[in-house]
Amino acid sequence: MKSRIADAALAPAGHLGIDWARRRSPVLDGFVRERLGDGSLSGRRVAVVIHLEAKTAFLATVLAEAGAEVVVAGSNPWTTRDDVAAALVERGIEVHSSRRSTMETWESDLAAVARTNPEFIIDDGAELTVRIARDHPDIYAQLRGVSEETTTGVARLRALEQAGRLPMPAIAANDAACKHMFDNRYGTGQSTIQAILQLTNLRMPGKRVAIVGYGWVGRGIATYVNAMGGRVVAVEADPIRALEAHTDGHDVADMLTALARADLVITATGGRRAVNRSHFHALQPSVIMANAGHHDHEIDVPALRQAASSVDEPRPGVTRFMLGDKPVFVLAEGALVNIAGGLGHSVEIMDLSFSVQAMGLHTLVTTELSPGVHEFPPDLDRLIAAAKLASRGISLDIIDDDQADTLGGLLDVDTSRSWDHP
Amino acid sequence: MNGGGGRGKIDFARQFMPALAAAAEVARASGHLAGRRVGIALTLEPKTACLVEAVASVGAEVSVSGSSNSTKPEIAAALAEGGIAVFAEAGASPERGEYLKNAFIDRRIEFLSDDGAGIVRRIHRERRDVLPYLRGVAEETTSGVRPLRVMESEGLLEVPCVAVNDARTKLLFDNLYGTGQSVVMATLDATNMQMAGASVVVAGYGKVGRGIATMARALGGRVTVSEIDPVEALAAHHDGHGVAPLLEAVRTANFVFTASGIGHTLTAEHVAQMPDGAVVAVGGAGRPEFDPTLGPELTRGDEVRPNVRPLAAPSGATVFVVADGYCVNTSAGEGNPIEVMDLSLALQLRALDYLASTVLGPGVHLLPPAIDDEVAASQLAAAGIAIDVPSPDQIRAAAQW
Repeated sequence: MKSRIADAALAPAGHLGIDWARRRSPVLDGFVRERLGDGSLSGRRVAVVIHLEAKTAFLATVLAEAGAEVVVAGSNPWTTRDDVAAALVERGIEVHSSRRSTMETWESDLAAVARTNPEFIIDDGAELTVRIARDHPDIYAQLRGVSEETTTGVARLRALEQAGRLPMPAIAANDAACKHMFDNRYGTGQSTIQAILQLTNLRMPGKRVAIVGYGWVGRGIATYVNAMGGRVVAVEADPIRALEAHTDGHDVADMLTALARADLVITATGGRRAVNRSHFHALQPSVIMANAGHHDHEIDVPALRQAASSVDEPRPGVTRFMLGDKPVFVLAEGALVNIAGGLGHSVEIMDLSFSVQAMGLHTLVTTELSPGVHEFPPDLDRLIAAAKLASRGISLDIIDDDQADTLGGLLDVDTSRSWDHP
Repeated sequence: MNGGGGRGKIDFARQFMPALAAAAEVARASGHLAGRRVGIALTLEPKTACLVEAVASVGAEVSVSGSSNSTKPEIAAALAEGGIAVFAEAGASPERGEYLKNAFIDRRIEFLSDDGAGIVRRIHRERRDVLPYLRGVAEETTSGVRPLRVMESEGLLEVPCVAVNDARTKLLFDNLYGTGQSVVMATLDATNMQMAGASVVVAGYGKVGRGIATMARALGGRVTVSEIDPVEALAAHHDGHGVAPLLEAVRTANFVFTASGIGHTLTAEHVAQMPDGAVVAVGGAGRPEFDPTLGPELTRGDEVRPNVRPLAAPSGATVFVVADGYCVNTSAGEGNPIEVMDLSLALQLRALDYLASTVLGPGVHLLPPAIDDEVAASQLAAAGIAIDVPSPDQIRAAAQW
């Protein structure tokens, strides 16, 4: 096993972080462990390519303890926590990752993971899957399944499928209710705002915040901004989402109009160059820009760098670009601000997301699925939600037979029957 | 991400402090602080450094004092580099701290910006030699205004003091929005926990408690308030929070915040009732409210993450205390947000200018409401927000009886 990490001596802090994650992950530590206890993962080669921090490491630990041969890399060159990586290695798991990598070392880390010949991938942004498809056709042909974490990654897998280049089953873990309804909304919402305020020491009450993209992530951020006393202006290209933002009580505007009055700009489109050269003139002096989408390219930082007369870093994680005499700030260099500039999603939320991922993997291992993108099994989705509720001591109601809607009665042609009383 | 050191942080903060800039304009135009010896004894960090530089920019001769545990060394260094007389060293020994305080007082300060009335009390007690030079004090906090009023009532206060803390633009923003946001966020930053769906207890429903409760609910927490004052408790009830005695409320808590301002609010007895994994943070007066080192019933462990320490309760539960019971927003975070301190520090500067330009007798004075209004208006103006002016008819109507 040839791991590549920054510093093995950092392991003690990493273990503490993983233990903290375990303490607040009752579903992964309980329900999921129990299900994985059937031995089906034993000896299976699993690659985990997700932002490498304490919660991810606990997922990797659970999979390894269920018998899988786990290899881990980060899904982004700048988000790995070196102490956690060191702790994983000490737990006998192969890791290829360090924080502050270059693009080149990150690519070579992913290639190293690919060369371990994984049977299954827990992927984020389909970063590893796409690279194996491109660079290692022989390994790609042997892949038995992929479980995908993000909206961006699911879209990429569907594109592969449409191109006829997805010869194995993939599970859209992102689309599970227990994933996107909580992770993308509440998880990203809270942690994005948290990271922005922590990096800048600024105040949310009274802030005018442009949110570019009103998908699950944008919605979540908007909810939190609004709840904390900020004022949202949402920017959308999709009329239904724009109408939703409007009906949710937010201002909606085109990009240039929104930027002209924004103190804070948060991108959440899942695409590239949401803030680009054509927008720079509309930015307010001292505007703060942060990215909450998967790509590091939603804010066109290279273009800003080109346009700026000077660039410096007044606070850790805060880069200032002077556009003429107008300063504009970008947080975490345009990388995912909640992870690159903060602690990532809360443990409680990742307990749900990673329970979905682990059960997605378990489904791929134990079920014969045809090639293509599959939805996460809805019955498992409900079981995960029920396990989370149970861990919090929350009870559900049960619908009696006589409370249920009776479709049969509606279809019954006997017109003498009352609609109200059977 | 390396950051630009003290100078970078000060300059960043200044960009978000338009009210302070406006206050400096007023003070510069009035000219009363020019050439005066001004002492600033606030927590030495980027925002207060902006006040220091603003006061220096209007021509005052500024000296700075700061405590050994709250001074940010890179900020002290940046100020000293700019020619400010700095009497603050992070991590100074108690003896060195004493020496620095006296050296600061030796500057024969005429106008003092004080925090907790620490320096002004010391001058009255031990350093009466410099009392003749002291012409006015601007006091920042609730806990400093209280002893000044006691001194006044006992006839022992010999200088005019302005209770900056009691200005509306301070009390309604700093204590409410500033502390609310910074306490909740510092706790979430330290723990990486989710507020949505969490059960949150707030002990004390004053301005700080209200701010914490509001922010916790905004983030999806379900809040229960504990109070000893029936009116505040009734207000919490009307605000839609649960209200219950603390001993009962903590039983299902995921987060417990204290904001009572009173010692011994949360004790080992309360911790014993908390569920496993509960997180405790102090948002009010700090350790007096909850001292995790008090009481042999609680066993303290090593930190499990920065600023998070486990306490083993006799029940077998592990409870986690953030920042060891010190104020969580300043100990585990950067204190109040910049824009909130913009208001508080603009008031400080205006109070110093007011003291320098007005003849006041010894005693505790309020900042004139017109100054309060001007500071609020300056931040609105910077945000491009216009407000109404009363019409002649409205003014007449308001004057009728």
